[in-house]
Amino acid sequence: MSSLMDMALIGAVMASTLRGTTPILLGALGETFVERSGLLNLGLEGMMVAGAFASFLVGFKLDSLMLGFVAAAAVGMILGLLFGFMTITLRVNQIVVGLGITIFAHASCSFLHRVIFGNQFPIMFTAGQTHEVPLLSKIPLIGQPLFNQHWLLYLTFLSVPVLYFIMYKTSLGLRIQAVGETPWAADSSGVNVLKTRYIAILFGGIMGGLAGAFMSLGDLAFFVPNMIMGRGYIAIVVVMLGKWDPLKVFLGALLFGFSMSLTSALQVAGVKVSPDFILMTPYLVVIATLLIFARSTNLPAALCVPYERGQK
Amino acid sequence: MKKIEFNDIAPAFYSVLSIVFALITGAVILIFIGKNPLLYFGQLFFQGMFSPLGLVESIIKMAPLLIISAGLLACFSAGLWNIGVEGQFLIGAVLAGWSAPTLASLLPYPIYLLSVAALGAMGGMFWILLPAVLKARYDMNEIITTMMMNWVAINLVTWLVKGPINDPTSVPAQTALIPMEHRLSMIPFTSIHIGLIVGIICLFIMHYVIRKTTLGYEFRVLLSNKRAAFHSGMNVARITIWGLLISGGFAGLAGVSDVLAIKGLFQGDWNPAYGMTAIPLVFLARFNGWAVVPLAFFFSFLSVGGEFVARDQGVPIFFVHILEGLTLLFFAASEYIEKRRAF
Repeated sequence: MSSLMDMALIGAVMASTLRGTTPILLGALGETFVERSGLLNLGLEGMMVAGAFASFLVGFKLDSLMLGFVAAAAVGMILGLLFGFMTITLRVNQIVVGLGITIFAHASCSFLHRVIFGNQFPIMFTAGQTHEVPLLSKIPLIGQPLFNQHWLLYLTFLSVPVLYFIMYKTSLGLRIQAVGETPWAADSSGVNVLKTRYIAILFGGIMGGLAGAFMSLGDLAFFVPNMIMGRGYIAIVVVMLGKWDPLKVFLGALLFGFSMSLTSALQVAGVKVSPDFILMTPYLVVIATLLIFARSTNLPAALCVPYERGQK
Repeated sequence: MKKIEFNDIAPAFYSVLSIVFALITGAVILIFIGKNPLLYFGQLFFQGMFSPLGLVESIIKMAPLLIISAGLLACFSAGLWNIGVEGQFLIGAVLAGWSAPTLASLLPYPIYLLSVAALGAMGGMFWILLPAVLKARYDMNEIITTMMMNWVAINLVTWLVKGPINDPTSVPAQTALIPMEHRLSMIPFTSIHIGLIVGIICLFIMHYVIRKTTLGYEFRVLLSNKRAAFHSGMNVARITIWGLLISGGFAGLAGVSDVLAIKGLFQGDWNPAYGMTAIPLVFLARFNGWAVVPLAFFFSFLSVGGEFVARDQGVPIFFVHILEGLTLLFFAASEYIEKRRAF
């Protein structure tokens, strides 16, 4: 009997690790390309909040999950465009712009939520549906937790090798790396530095928006303004830990997904610790992992440095 | 008499311009949700500026902003990003709420006040110690670590007031109420507590520390060229730690001031999120202590007025935070105009 309980618990931890990993991984994969191109997007947290709200609002009001996800990607892209315009075209301070976008997006979502829904937090009952993968979901023990999940979760995990390939084996990926390391050299060999950076930040914005959408329409089925709770910043940490390599970023995201799922697993397992105490763990894990792994970070050389022709 | 050139007033001009653009964009948002911006801003300015209640409330609310800004002046002018003032504020506040009832009964009033203030400030410094050491020792991004410490603090204080330092005689999760005679005293003939004066003093001390002392000079060198600071023999690690500890200490002190003067106790779900206001504010002031005062008044008046109007016109209070975010974005953009003028 007890072994059956253990099995169920292990299954639950596996499933919630994957669900906890997905939004962080989505945001982090986008941010990997953004940082490789020489931009530091501290607005990621805000883009995730905006994505979560936009997807829920559109999905709920139009009763269409698909349009919800499209809306999240669009809003993420618009915020990415705003970040890109200010940092690439106007060449102003990336940290100030990032913080400004996060404050603006967070406040706007709280504001619009209150205007549209009042003090209500409606639930969208069609959201959060899972899809069983034929055959694979029948595997004992791991079948259900790994292969009975939301479609965006599968897509996110499948995108890791694809993005790895794009980063290291395609000319787009090499151009992105070049403009982040030596933009003047890339420019003189015919790479359009500004355009390449715009591509990266628009992609980062879309991924950030989808990360939020997964929270409100994939994992859960409602929106509360504080639901992202620093996952955007955790994604940035994961990118630093993973040294801008999609595969290592994936491993880092899994670690945080696991530490987030532990918070619920400990409660399910009946460990007598206050939930407020358990809620601190993911953030302490962030600091601890930074301590252990991130001592030597090789930042892209041109990170946070705007590019202007003739200026080095 | 010296003629005033545009370049002399340019910094103030761009800051005011950022605020004006933010207000205009805010007005567009109001039209978008079907409200009348003239009515909204009209009532906000009228009630905030011209009613005695609004004016006094706005001045009272300046105190935490001034104290926090004093600390941010130090770290921002060294190019160090303490984004976690919210967490340091909460730690200072919870320490004040926990220690004040006991200390008040043991110590004479002035010593009691000083010890609670010192405890809160040390709490704030303690809360940023780890990010500061990590930054100094391993150059670890302090934006990330201070932010993570925020969430740890939010959950930690909730846990503390529910359990270890809970006042068992009250139903909600909170510390014991501090009796009125042990609160912060008022400025004579007003209902404004002395936190305001403390804030202004802190601010001007930091303003001159940054401009006139060796430590301040080292901060400014660190901001403009870290490598130069290192090669000229400055102890970069020590400067980094001081810059961050000072900002954390002032944030903790602000928490003490709010608990001793306004709240009278610490509640688990209380988090005024002053960081969101203080960070844009210090940027707009361009790290100038004198400029912080009018800006702090403006932002605190916005939030007080915004609260009044929220009830009357159904515009949620979050609108004020939208304006703050927009101000920061327009301020960032003004850097572009300034750079172009420089060429």
